[in-house]
Amino acid sequence: MSLSRLLARSYSPILLLLGWEVLVRSGAMPSVLVPAPSNVILRLVQSFGDPVFLFDLQQTLFRLFSGLALAIVLGTAIGVASAQGGIGEQILEPLMRVLAPIPKIALFPALLLLFGFDHLSRIILVLIDAIIPVLLAAYYGARAVDERLLWSARSAGTSPAGCIWRVVLPAALPGILTGVRIAIVIACIVVFLSEMVQPGDGLGDLVIRAARAFRTIDMFVPIVTISILGFLMDHALALIRRRVLVWMPES
Amino acid sequence: MTALADRLRPLVAVVFLLALWQAASLLLQEDYLPPATAVLADAGQLLASGALIPDILSSLGRLAWGFAFGIVLGIPLGLVSGRSERINDFVAPLLALFYPVPKAALMPIFLLWFGAGDISKIVIIIMSVSLPLVYHSYQGAKSVDAKLLWSAAAMGTGRLRQFWKIILPASLPEVLLGTRVAIVIGVIAMVSSEMIVRQNGVGYYIFNTLDMAEYQTTYAVIVVVAAMGYALDWLFERVRLRLTFWAPERRAPLVEPA
Repeated sequence: MSLSRLLARSYSPILLLLGWEVLVRSGAMPSVLVPAPSNVILRLVQSFGDPVFLFDLQQTLFRLFSGLALAIVLGTAIGVASAQGGIGEQILEPLMRVLAPIPKIALFPALLLLFGFDHLSRIILVLIDAIIPVLLAAYYGARAVDERLLWSARSAGTSPAGCIWRVVLPAALPGILTGVRIAIVIACIVVFLSEMVQPGDGLGDLVIRAARAFRTIDMFVPIVTISILGFLMDHALALIRRRVLVWMPES
Repeated sequence: MTALADRLRPLVAVVFLLALWQAASLLLQEDYLPPATAVLADAGQLLASGALIPDILSSLGRLAWGFAFGIVLGIPLGLVSGRSERINDFVAPLLALFYPVPKAALMPIFLLWFGAGDISKIVIIIMSVSLPLVYHSYQGAKSVDAKLLWSAAAMGTGRLRQFWKIILPASLPEVLLGTRVAIVIGVIAMVSSEMIVRQNGVGYYIFNTLDMAEYQTTYAVIVVVAAMGYALDWLFERVRLRLTFWAPERRAPLVEPA
């Protein structure tokens, strides 16, 4: 991408932040209610020397990555397995039609009752929310595999299990990685919301604590942190997807 | 596969899930997991007695407002972005920046800005539903067959008329897919905003019963909310299929971050 193109594609956020900064600095917007972006960024940088912030960050990251890892592994396994034979159409598709439009965050109180108020309930919430895009992507990806590839592999002596590893999974990979990208952002959002809904610790709880003490800058810092995290992970995955799938045209 | 059997499958799926729940509950014998039958009876009671109705209505009212604003703002913005690279260069990076933000997390901040009324929650819903609406409208408008527009222009159709007569109808299938995603996301935003700032609505009700240790009622309200999510999606699917019966069927993505 050329420099002018890059500029054309990124001037609006810069303009937005600059305008915001100017409005606050000039006093047009009260800084008690609306902190200047520069102050939020400064506080964010300082936060990385604050043990309280680091502890909450660590709690959130642990829940996020545990839930996400489970969602990716289980989602891929269940999705690919259901694509073999008739179980997909008979069981998985109707189940997904019911489960996908349900707001998973509403299940969180039940998860709290079942799995306690610490890590486990939040990890499971991340799992059930993030597994759906991965599972659907794996299922539809595995179903769309060109049958001739399977026939060739079988006739060349590959075992049925080997076919799943060597043919189905690589063919479904582009779709799965797209599903994982969606899952990453969902996971970041839902882990954060779970910590705001039922406080204890974590970045979400940090917002609640800042709100109780009426510290507006500190309310923004955790939200900006999780958003940057989601943004970076999403873009990192897009990069990986392009690397891994050089043989695959961009969709 | 017959049409009837296809229609019954989701029902079978629900019965299957409820049976699993019932079995787990009978096995565990814990207060924390009341049996599905008792919870369903409780949910029926909550609806029949009208105890939950005011909260359902205040939730749905906010959802409707947020959704209406989201449609009025999001769809035109997306369609215009899809037809103009200059506008898209402005809009797309802002959306990309905003995409990973947990919108409902802004509740405490909006409380300071807009006060404790409905406005904060409605703004959250508008922000949440706008992203899929803009994105899918953009995709729809961008992929309109250029030959249609050339022919219209050659016959002297003005820009605005082209928009109404060609771009909007041609993008409709994609726009409605975005609307479907937006409904699912809107319900999530509705519930989470009510759970974070607990005043009224179904999200509030769930946690109110949890705090009072009325666990069976907690489950009953969760069931009602889940049913609301499914019912809204089901209703909209009827509308969507009726409006775009002429278009080749596309698999709706259904899950996108809220």
